[in-house]
Amino acid sequence: VCKEETVCVSMCAPVKYNIRGPALIPRMKTKHRLYYITLFSVVLLGLIATGVFQFWPHSIESSSDWAVEKRSVHDVPVVRLPADSPLPERGDLSCRMHTCFDVYRCGFNPKNKIKVYIYSLKKYVDDFGVPVSNTISREYNELLTAISDSDFYTDDINRACLFVPSIDVLNQNTLRIKETAQALAQLARWDRGTNQLLFNMLPGEPPDYNTALDVPRDRALLAGGGFSTWTYRQGYDVSIPVYSSLSAEVDLPERGPGPRRYFLLSSQMALHPEYRSDLEALQAKHEESVLVLEKCTNLSEGVLSTRKRCHKDQVFDYPQVLQEASFCMVLRGARLGQAVLSDVLQAGCVPVIIADSYILPFSEVLDWKRASVVIPEEKMRDMYSVLRSIPQRQIEEMQRQARWFWEAYFQSMKAIAMATLQIINDRIYPYAAISYEEWNDPPAVKWSSVSNPLFLPLIPPQSQGFTAIVLTYDRVESLFRVITEVSKVPSLSKLLVVWNNQNKNPPEDSLWPKIRVPLKVVRTAENKLSNRFFPYDEIETEAVLAIDDDIIMLTADELQFGYEVWREFPDRLVGYPGRLHLWDHEMSKWKYESEWTNEVSMVLTGVAFYHKYFNYLYTYKMPGDIKNWVDAHMNCEDIAMNFLVANVTGKAVIKVTPRKKFKCPECTAIDGLSLDQTHMVERSECINKFASVFGTMPLKVVEHRADPVLYKDDFPEKLKSFPNIGSL
Amino acid sequence: LLWRRKYLWLIFSASWLLLVLLGAPRLRQLAIPPSLRPRTLTSWPRWLDQELLPNFVEPEELTKDPCPPSCSTRQWQRQRPGCLMETCFDTSRCQSHGFKVFVYPVGLTQPISEIHHKVLASIEGSGYHTANPEEACLFVLPGDALSPQLLPLWNGGQNHLIFHLHPGSWPDLGFDLGQAMLARASPKPETLRLGFDVALPLFPQSYPQRGGSRGQLAHLIPPPGEDLLAFESQLDARVTGSSNHLDQSTILIISDHHGEASEHHRDGPLMSEESGPRALGFSDNILLSCFSFQAGCIPVLLSSGWELPFSEVIDWGTATIMIDERHLLQVMGPALQELPPARILALRQQTQFLWDAYFSSVEKIVHTTLEIIRDRIFRAAARPWLLWNAPPGGLLALPTFSTQPGDFPFYYLQRGSRPSGKFSALIWVGALDQPPLKLIQEVAGSQHCAQVWSGIAKRGFPTPTYSHRGVTLIFLLLQKSDRFFPYSAIGTDAILSLDAHSSLSTSGLLSFVVWQSFPERIVGFQTQSHFWDEIKGSWGYTDQRPNEFSMVLMDAAFYHRYYHVLFTHFLPAPLRDLVDELSECEDILMNFLVAEVTKLPPIKVLQHAQGEQPSRDCISKFASWFGHMPLVHSQLRLDPVLFKDQVSVLRKKYRHLERL
Repeated sequence: VCKEETVCVSMCAPVKYNIRGPALIPRMKTKHRLYYITLFSVVLLGLIATGVFQFWPHSIESSSDWAVEKRSVHDVPVVRLPADSPLPERGDLSCRMHTCFDVYRCGFNPKNKIKVYIYSLKKYVDDFGVPVSNTISREYNELLTAISDSDFYTDDINRACLFVPSIDVLNQNTLRIKETAQALAQLARWDRGTNQLLFNMLPGEPPDYNTALDVPRDRALLAGGGFSTWTYRQGYDVSIPVYSSLSAEVDLPERGPGPRRYFLLSSQMALHPEYRSDLEALQAKHEESVLVLEKCTNLSEGVLSTRKRCHKDQVFDYPQVLQEASFCMVLRGARLGQAVLSDVLQAGCVPVIIADSYILPFSEVLDWKRASVVIPEEKMRDMYSVLRSIPQRQIEEMQRQARWFWEAYFQSMKAIAMATLQIINDRIYPYAAISYEEWNDPPAVKWSSVSNPLFLPLIPPQSQGFTAIVLTYDRVESLFRVITEVSKVPSLSKLLVVWNNQNKNPPEDSLWPKIRVPLKVVRTAENKLSNRFFPYDEIETEAVLAIDDDIIMLTADELQFGYEVWREFPDRLVGYPGRLHLWDHEMSKWKYESEWTNEVSMVLTGVAFYHKYFNYLYTYKMPGDIKNWVDAHMNCEDIAMNFLVANVTGKAVIKVTPRKKFKCPECTAIDGLSLDQTHMVERSECINKFASVFGTMPLKVVEHRADPVLYKDDFPEKLKSFPNIGSL
Repeated sequence: LLWRRKYLWLIFSASWLLLVLLGAPRLRQLAIPPSLRPRTLTSWPRWLDQELLPNFVEPEELTKDPCPPSCSTRQWQRQRPGCLMETCFDTSRCQSHGFKVFVYPVGLTQPISEIHHKVLASIEGSGYHTANPEEACLFVLPGDALSPQLLPLWNGGQNHLIFHLHPGSWPDLGFDLGQAMLARASPKPETLRLGFDVALPLFPQSYPQRGGSRGQLAHLIPPPGEDLLAFESQLDARVTGSSNHLDQSTILIISDHHGEASEHHRDGPLMSEESGPRALGFSDNILLSCFSFQAGCIPVLLSSGWELPFSEVIDWGTATIMIDERHLLQVMGPALQELPPARILALRQQTQFLWDAYFSSVEKIVHTTLEIIRDRIFRAAARPWLLWNAPPGGLLALPTFSTQPGDFPFYYLQRGSRPSGKFSALIWVGALDQPPLKLIQEVAGSQHCAQVWSGIAKRGFPTPTYSHRGVTLIFLLLQKSDRFFPYSAIGTDAILSLDAHSSLSTSGLLSFVVWQSFPERIVGFQTQSHFWDEIKGSWGYTDQRPNEFSMVLMDAAFYHRYYHVLFTHFLPAPLRDLVDELSECEDILMNFLVAEVTKLPPIKVLQHAQGEQPSRDCISKFASWFGHMPLVHSQLRLDPVLFKDQVSVLRKKYRHLERL
C-alpha cells in the first residue's frame, strides 16, 4: 500500500506544474497581474493536488475496494502442466484427524478459529494447451467468495491452517482426472495433501459411480456429497449436500403446519425400474394419498422440463408440488447424494431417504432423526405402514426441522461452506465446539427453551450447611442481634458480614458477639446493593442465606426449615416474605403487589436461601444495564434476583412458612401512606423495566408455600421437628 | 480593476480555506508511518463476469442420470465388503416378536469369566430376554472365546452379538466374526464398524453387577482450593517428555492401555482458584474412575483416536473437555483457564448424570448396549438426542411411549412447554359390590377432569360405559398390577389415582395445580416413611415418623401417565408378579420407581387427617432388586399461600382447607 502512495505523490506534482506554465503566462503581461496570477496558481495548484489526493488514491486507507480485483475469469494466469508432472497418491482410506492432519499449523488462538487460505485462481492446461477443466463454476466461485468474506479467511499462506485450492472439483464429470491431480500436486503448500480441503458434490462417473471423488488426492480432506460408509472417513471427511440451483431460483415461503394434500410423494425422474414399480404398486394401493410423478413427455417448447413433473395427464409445478406432501421420497439414483434432498427440505416436506450406506449431509453434527425417515432399501415395501405409524404432531415437527436444516445449512453455497468449515473447526478445537442444540434447534425452540444451569437432580448433603451473608451499613446493634439469632440455626456453617459503609470502620473484633461458627467481615469499596450478591471466595457452601441486618423476627426453626427446603429445591430462590406481580389491564403494564394474596411469584431477598452460583450470575451475567440501574436507584436488587433466577431456571420461587410482620422497606413505611405508595410505584417500575430488558416476563406464579409436614397438625408440639414456626 | 482585485482576493482566500480544510486530514494521515496503518486482506476477487460463469452441473443433467445396475440392492451387497445394520442384520426377525434377546446356555462352551457371567445375568434380568431361540431377534454369545461355528443358529454370525471386554490392545478374537456384532471395550475407530459395532467402556472384573456406587458429587461449584489438574494418556514419549513444560503442578498419570497408573508426579495445584477444574485424562478406566470416585472431576480427553464408549448416542462434548493430544501444550492451559464457571458447572453435573445413567454397573452398561441396538433396528422409534443426553437418561426414557420429548414429564423446561391442563381419574374399586358413585360424581365435577376410569377386581360387576357431565366413565376388569397399565386411551398427561374409599375434597384442585409445577414427581396426601431397621438389618416401613416422609400413598395422588409405561415395561415381570401375588404394595413399587427416575422425594399436599394404613413388608424386596434404596426423605408439605394466616378467610382461595 505505501509503495503505491509514494509513487503517486511524485508523479502528480510535476504534471501540474507543466500545465500551468504555458497555458496562462502569455495572456498576462503586467507585473502585478503576474504577481496575482502566480499567487492564484499556487493556491489553485494546492487545491488540485489536494483534490487529487482526496479523490484518486483511495488505496491509502480503503481496503476492500482496492484489494478486490476487477478482472475477468478469462484473464487469470495460465499454467502449463507437463505430462510427466508428479501425481498425488490415491486417497488414503485410513486417514484420521490424528494421523493425517497437521494441527500444529493451527495453534491456539483466543477465538478458537482456524485460518483458511485460498489459492489464487489459475487456468491449467496440458502440454497441448487443452484446458484441464472449466476454470471455475459459478457455485464454486460463490463458495470461495463466502469463505473469503468469513472470519475464517486469511490471505497469509504462512498463518493458514487449512488450504482450499481454487481448482474446481465440484463435479467430477467436468474435469480430467489425471491432469487435475497433477494440478493439485503442484500447489504451493500441497505437502502430500496435508490440511488441503477439496469440495466435491458429484463424485464418480459412469458406469459404476464411485461414492467419493476419483481424483487422486493423497491426504487431502474431502467435503463430498454422496459418501457411502465405505468411502467416508469418519471424523476426517465431511459429508455435504448436493447443492440444488432451485434453492436460489425458486422462492418457496415456509408453509404452516396442518395436513397436506398428499401423504407421500415421489418426484425423482431417473429411478431404477425396480423402485418405480414398487412405488407404482404403492400408488395403486393408496390412490388418494400417494403420488408418483414422472418426467413430462409432451411439454410445449420453452418450458423448462426441470420445473415440471407429470402424473398421467396432469402437469405439476416443481418444486412447488413438494409443499403439497407430508413425506417426499429421496431415493438414490446413480449417485447416493441427490440434489432433490435440498428441494424437499426447502418445501418443508419430510424426506424419506432410501439409500443404504449413504452418509447424510453434515451427519457428524446434524440429527437427521429429527428431520427425516431413513428406510433400508429392503424394507421399501413396508415403508407406507412405517410412515403411517408416525403421529401427526411428530410429522409437523419434522417438517419444521427439515425447513430449518435447509435454511441453515443447504440454501446457499455459503451456508454449505460455513457449515463445513465449522465442523472442521470443531474437530480442531473440540473443547470449544458448537453444541448439539446450537446446530439442531430451530431459532423458535432456542428462544423458548430454558436450560437450567442446575439441571442435575441432586439433594446436597445436610452436613454442608449454609453461609449467611448479612449486608449492613451502620446499624450495629440490630446487626449484632441478627448475628446472635442466626447463629442459633444448627446448619449455619459460616457468617459473612458485608460492611457497606466506607466512612466508618466496623466495630472492633472484641465487640462482636461470640458465636460457634466463623464470622468474617468483608469491607466494600462502594456502597452498592449489588455487594450483597457478590460471589465472595469466603462462601464455601453451595447454599447462601441472604439476610438484612434488621431481620430479627425469624426463629431458628424457621431458618433451619428454610435450609431443608432449599436442599430439596437447590435451583430455586427459597424465601420468607412472598410478593406477586400482576398485569394492570387499565395501565397495560406490570404492577407490584405486596397484599395478602393467594399467589406468589417472588420472594424478598431480605431473607432468602439460594445457590451460590446465582451470585456469580448476578454479578457477571445480569442482562442489560440492570445491575447498574439497581445500584444507581438503591432499590429492587431483590426483584432483579428473582427475575434472573426465574429466567435461567424457568422455575418458580418457594415461599416458606406463614406470613409474619416483617421489618422491611414496605413495612417501615406504614406511618406515612404516601411513602408507601411511592415505594410501590418504584417497585412496579422496576418490574416493568426488568421485563423489558429480559424481553419477556420470566416470573412464574404459584399458589403454594412450603410448611413443615406437621405444621398446625393436631400433634404434640414437642414431637415436631420444627415446632417454632409462625410464632410472632 | 478594483472590484476585480477584490474578487480575486475573495477567490484567493476561499481557496486557502478549502485547501486547509481538505488538506489537513490528508496530511495527518500521511504522518502515520505505513507500518502502523491497518493491514488489509487481499480477498477472493469479484470477477467481472461472475454472473456468466457456468453452473457446476446443468439441472437437466442431474435428473437425467441413468441408474446403473448396481442400484439394485442385492447387487450392491455382493459388491461391497463390511457390515451395516442394513446389510448384515436381519431385522425381519424382530418384527413379529419385537426385540427379544436369546442367550446361548453356558454349558455349550468352556467356562467363562466372572465378568461374562455378570453380563449374561444382566441380559437375563432385562425385559428383552427370551428363552426361546425361535422368537429371538438378537443372539448373545456367552463369552468371547469359543468357536461360534459350532453354534446351531450361528448362520454366518447374523444377528449375533459378542461382548469382547478386553482392552483394545488385546489381540482380536480367534475366529472369524462374520456378520456378528461386536460390543468391544475401548476400540480403535479403525477396527470399529461404524453404526454396527458398539464401543463399551473398559471395566474391571470386580465391577458391581447391579446398583453400583452412585455419583458422589456434593459441590456443584468446585470449592476453592480443591482444584487439581491431572491427566492421563497412553504411554507417550511426547507427553512424558514435555510434562516439565506444563506448570509445575501437574499430576501426571501415565498408563498403559490397561489404564493402570504406573507413574505419578505431583507438585501442587496447577490452576488459580477460579479457573481450574478437576480434570483427568483419557483412558476408559480412568474415565470411569474419574466419574465415580473423583466426585465432580471433569475428564480432559486427549483425543488420540480412541472411540468413546457409547459415542453413538452419548454426546461426550457435553461432559468432557476434548483436546487434540498434539495440541496439548499450546492449548490446554488457555483452554482450561478460559472455561467459564457455567461450563464447569454443566460439565460436573453432566459427568455425574452419565455415570449414574449408563456406567455405574454392569447391568447398566449391558442394557445401554441392548438399547442402542434396539434403537438401530426400530429406527423410526429410536430415542432422540435429548432422551439420551439429559436426565434421567436413555434407559429410563422409553421410546415405546413416545419419541417426542414433549410427551415425557422430564423435558418441559428444555422444550419451553407445559403439561396439559386436564387429568384423568383412575379409581381402583377393587372387590366392592357397588361403584363409588359419590366419589365418581365428585371427581367428574372437577373442571380439570377429562376422564374417569374405574378398575374392578370382581367378575360379574356391571361394567357400563356412560358419561357424566361430559366426562367419560370407563369401567375395567383389572388385576392389582394392571392398575398402572398404560392404557392408550388415557389422553391426559396427568393421572389422578384414587381408591374407592378415598374422599377427594377440593384440595384435589390445589394438588393438581401443584402437580403442574412438579410434573415429574408424585403429588399426593397420605405419606409413609422408610427407615433402616438396625435390629432386623433390613429396610422397614413406618408411619411412626410423621416429621418426614419418602412415599406417597396412591389412594389419592397425581402423577404423569408416563409412569404407567415405566411400571409396565421397565420393571421386570417377577416384581409385578410379586405385587399381584401379595395383592398389595403396588403403590410402594410405584414410589420406588419414580424415586429411581427422579432421585427426588414425592410431594405432599395439605389434606384431611390420615386414615388407617396397613403395614406391609415388601420394601426390602424392592430395595434388593433396585440394588440400592432409591427413596428420598422430605420434610415439607405444600400448603396454600395463606393457609392459617391471620387474615380474613374471605381473602383465601382454599377456604375449606382452613378447617383442617
